[in-house]
Amino acid sequence: MVSTHAHPDHAKAHSAPRPDSELIGLLAEFEDQDALLDACEHARSSGYKKFDAYSPFPVHGIDQAMGIRRTMLPFFVLAIALGAVVLGVGMQWYANRAVFSPLFPGFDFIISGKPLWSLPANIPVAFEVIVLSSCFATFLGMWYLNRLPRLANPLFRIERFKRASDDRFFLMIEKSDPQFDADQTQEQMRGWGAAAVEAVRLDLTDHQIPLGLRRIGLITGLLLLLPPALIYRAQHATNPEPRLHFMPDMDWQYRFGAQNVGPMWYNDRVPQFFFADKSVMRLPVEGTVPRGGLETDIELFRGIKAGSKIPDPSTAPPLPTTPPADEQEAAALALAQAALEPEWVTTFPAALTVDQAMVERGRDRFNIYCVVCHGYAGEGDGLVNERALELAINSPIQKGATTNATWTKAKSFHDPEVAKQPIGRIFDTITNGRSTMGPYGSQISTRDRWAIVLYVKSLQKAWIDPPKPTIPAANVPPGASDARPSNVSPTEGKSDEKTDPPLLDTKGN
Amino acid sequence: MATTVEQPVDNTVEIPGERAPLVLGGLDYAAITTTVCQVAERRRPPLAWYIAFWISFPIMLMFGALIGHLFLKGVGVWGNTSPEYWAFDIVNFVFWVGIGHAGTLISAILFLFRQNWRTGINRAAEAMTIFAVICAGTFPGIHIGRVWAFYWLFPIPTEHLAMWPQFRSPLLWDVFAVGTYFTVSLLFWYMGLVPDLATLRDRAQTKLPRMLYGIFALGWTGSARSWHRYEIAYMILAAFSTPLVLSVHTIVSFDFAVSQIPGWHTTIFPPYFVAGAIFSGFAMVVTLLVPARQWFGLKNLITIRHLENMNKIIIATGLMVGTAYAIEFFIAWYGGVESESFAFQNRVFGWYSWAYWIMVTCNVLVPQLFWFKYIRTSPLLMVIICLLVNVGMWFERFVIIVTSLSRDYLPSSWTYYRPTIVDYGMLLGSFGLFMTLFLLFCRFLPTVAISEVKNVAPRPHH
Repeated sequence: MVSTHAHPDHAKAHSAPRPDSELIGLLAEFEDQDALLDACEHARSSGYKKFDAYSPFPVHGIDQAMGIRRTMLPFFVLAIALGAVVLGVGMQWYANRAVFSPLFPGFDFIISGKPLWSLPANIPVAFEVIVLSSCFATFLGMWYLNRLPRLANPLFRIERFKRASDDRFFLMIEKSDPQFDADQTQEQMRGWGAAAVEAVRLDLTDHQIPLGLRRIGLITGLLLLLPPALIYRAQHATNPEPRLHFMPDMDWQYRFGAQNVGPMWYNDRVPQFFFADKSVMRLPVEGTVPRGGLETDIELFRGIKAGSKIPDPSTAPPLPTTPPADEQEAAALALAQAALEPEWVTTFPAALTVDQAMVERGRDRFNIYCVVCHGYAGEGDGLVNERALELAINSPIQKGATTNATWTKAKSFHDPEVAKQPIGRIFDTITNGRSTMGPYGSQISTRDRWAIVLYVKSLQKAWIDPPKPTIPAANVPPGASDARPSNVSPTEGKSDEKTDPPLLDTKGN
Repeated sequence: MATTVEQPVDNTVEIPGERAPLVLGGLDYAAITTTVCQVAERRRPPLAWYIAFWISFPIMLMFGALIGHLFLKGVGVWGNTSPEYWAFDIVNFVFWVGIGHAGTLISAILFLFRQNWRTGINRAAEAMTIFAVICAGTFPGIHIGRVWAFYWLFPIPTEHLAMWPQFRSPLLWDVFAVGTYFTVSLLFWYMGLVPDLATLRDRAQTKLPRMLYGIFALGWTGSARSWHRYEIAYMILAAFSTPLVLSVHTIVSFDFAVSQIPGWHTTIFPPYFVAGAIFSGFAMVVTLLVPARQWFGLKNLITIRHLENMNKIIIATGLMVGTAYAIEFFIAWYGGVESESFAFQNRVFGWYSWAYWIMVTCNVLVPQLFWFKYIRTSPLLMVIICLLVNVGMWFERFVIIVTSLSRDYLPSSWTYYRPTIVDYGMLLGSFGLFMTLFLLFCRFLPTVAISEVKNVAPRPHH
C-alpha cells in the first residue's frame, strides 16, 4: 500500500475506491426470549426467509416460530449405524476366519473346542463399533450441518453480540433475502420490540489469516513431515547394529540350568545351597527306573538273544585307534570287533506280532526316518546321502576351515555284508547308530524300530526275489516294460531272468 | 462477587404443586454466567485450590515415575505372583472405570429421564468420567508387560506379525468397550462444552484466552438453527451413551464372569457391577462437588437439593449392591458347587475376611445413614460417608479379585497376596493424576453447564 514505485495501481485504487466493508444484514437485540419468539413469528409472517435467531440457550418453541424444518441428522446417523453393523461383524469375521486372504490373512483361533465362528461371542465388539461409529457420525454430522467450525464471523465484530452467549437474544435478517430493505426492515424490527438494531458488515480488508498463525502452521507442518521422513529413511537404510532389545530380563534370568552346581541365593553375601553336594537339583536314587523304562525283555529292547553272554567292552582289550596297516592287523581288528558283538537274535522277539500291519507300519516309519539317506529301495541313494557325497567330493578346504567335509556313504541294504546281518544287529544299528548314522532310539519307539527292521528285511527279500505282478501279460501296453525297472519282469512264468545273478552284481555292489 | 450467598430458600423441602427451584440466590442469566465464568476469569484461584494442586501434582509426577520404573524393571515390581496374576492393577482399573459411570449416568440417563437437576452437576460429573477413564485405562495399559507391543491389542493388519486379536476373549471386548467409552464420553463432554466455551470467548478480556477459547468454541454463535441440530445431536449421543455405559461395566464384569474361577463364574456379575459402578461414581461426584462448590462460589447452582438427590441415588444403588452380596451367598449355597461355596465361606472367614468386612461395613451399613435427612443434607457428613463408600467399593474389587484368585482350584498354589510399595504408590498416584486433571478442569473450564442451567433457571421478571 505504501510502496513508492507502484504509482499506477495506487492511482487506480484512488480513482475507484473499493469499499472496505459490505452490508450483509441487520441485527436486532431483544431483552428476553418471549420478545425474540414474537419477533421470529413476525419475521416469518412478513415473508422473510433468510433470518436467524441467536440465544444463549435453546429457546423453547423457536423452531416452530421460525419454521425450522427437522434436521436429517438422525437418518444420517442411522445409515452410519447400519454400516457399522457390517463393519463390526465383518472385521471380526475377517480377522478370525479369512485365513484364505493372500494379503493380511486372518487367523482362526481354536479356543476350548468352540466353533470357529459363533455370533454371540462377537456381539460385544460389534456393539461397541456401532456405538463408536454412530457417535462420531452424530458429532461430526452435527458440526457439518451447522457449517462449523467457522472461526471468522462478521457477527463477532459487533460488540453487543457478545451478550448473545450471556443474557441477550438477537434476530438477524440477511441482506440476501428478497424482502430485505435496509430502512424498511429496520423499521419493522423496531416495531417487533427490538431494543436496538445494528447493521452487520462484512470486513473486506481483513481476510488474511494472522501472520503468527501462518508461521505456527508452517512450522507445525514441517515438523509433522519429520516422522514419515525418518521412517522412510529407516526403511531404505541398512544398519549393522542388532535390533533394539527393550527388556532383556527374559534373556538374563536369575535361574540355574538343570544339573548345574551353584548357590541358590545369597544371605548377606554368604552363598546358600539347598543340597550338601551344592547341586541345584537332586539326582534320582540308584536303581530308579523312569516311567516306561523297565526294559526287562532283552530280546525286544536290545535285540540280544535271551540267556546269551553279553561281552563287556570295559574288560575287553581296547581296539586300536589307528587304521590297520596291513591285512594281518585288519584281521585281528575284525576278530576283536566280533568278540565284542553279542549274540544277536535272528528271529523276531516273541512279544511282537509279525503281520502285514507291522510291515505297513515299518514302511511308514522307514519313509519318514530312513529314506533321506538310504533311499526308497534301500540302495543307499537317499537325497541327503547324494548331496553329502557331492559336498564331500567337491569341497576343497575352505579358507580358514580346519577340516574338509567328510561323509561315510550310507549303506545299501543289498550289500551282501549287510544282507547277512542278523535282525538283532539291524535293530541295534537303528537304536544306537553306526559310524555316521546317528542313534534313533530316542526318536522311534521300540516297536516301530522292529517294524522298520521287518520292512528292511522285506526290502532285502524283494531285491533277491522280486514280487511278480499279477496283471496278465496281454493287458500290459506295448512299451510298458521299458518304463519298469529292468530287474522286475513284466511277464510271468516264462522268464528265467528273475533269479539272474547279474541283477545283484549291477545293483547290489 | 461474594463466594457465599445467603440461602433464604431451602430447596430440599417439597412443596406440593410447586417445583423446587434449582437455581438459588435469585440469579438471573447474567449472574449465572458470571458465577460460573469468574472461576476461570479470576487471576488467582482460591488458596485451597493451590494447596490441593500442589499436593496432587507431585503425586501425579510420582505416578509417572513409577510407571517408568515399571517399564524398565517389568511387572515384577508389583506384588502380583502366581496365582494372583491380577491384583492391584486390575482392582484399580475396575475401581476407576466404575467411578466414571456416574458421569455418564448423570449426563445421559438423567437427560433421557428429563431430570432437570442434572444440569447443575453434569459438566463436572462428565469431566470426572473422562479423568477416571484415563486413570482406568492406564492400569491395563501398563500391566501387559511388554508395553511396546501394546498395539497387539488392536486389529491392525501387520505383515510381520500375521496375527489378529482373539475376538472371543472378554479381555479384548474390554479394549473395545473402554476405548469406545472414553472416546464417546469425550465427544459428549466436548459437545456440551462448546456453547460455554463461546461464552468464555465472548467475555475474554485478553488476547490469549480469547484465541484459545475461540478455537475450541469452533465459532459457535448460538444460532437457533444450530441449537436445533445441536439438541438433536445431544439427544442421540445420550441415547447411545445409555446402553454404552451399561455395556462397559457389563463387559468389565465378563472379564471375571466368563472365566471359571470360583467366586467369579456367576451370572449376577453384570447388573451387580453396573450398580456398584454407579454407587461409587455418585459417591465420587459428591466428594468432588462439595469442596468445589464451596471454593468456587457455586453454591447457588450446585445446591443442597442436587447433593441430596445424589445421596438418594447412593442409598438406592448401595441397597442393590448389598442385595447382590446376599444373592451371591444364596447362589453359592443353592448351586451346591463345593468350590463355589468354599470361595464364599473363605471370603467371610478366610485370610482376607478383614477386607470383606471393610467392604460390607462401608458399602452396606454406612450408606444407611443417608436415611436421615440431616445427614444427607449436611455437606461435611455426606463427604465422609462418600469417602467411606469409595473405600468400600475399592475393597469390593479387591475381595472379588484377590480372594478368588488366591484360593483357586489347586490348593498347592494357594498364597497370601502381599502388595509392594510400588502397588501402593501407583494406587495413590492414580488419585494424583485424577485430582490434578480435575483441578485443572475446575480452574480453566466452566464447571457448570451455563447454557443448560439457564434453561432450567426461573425466567426473569420484568
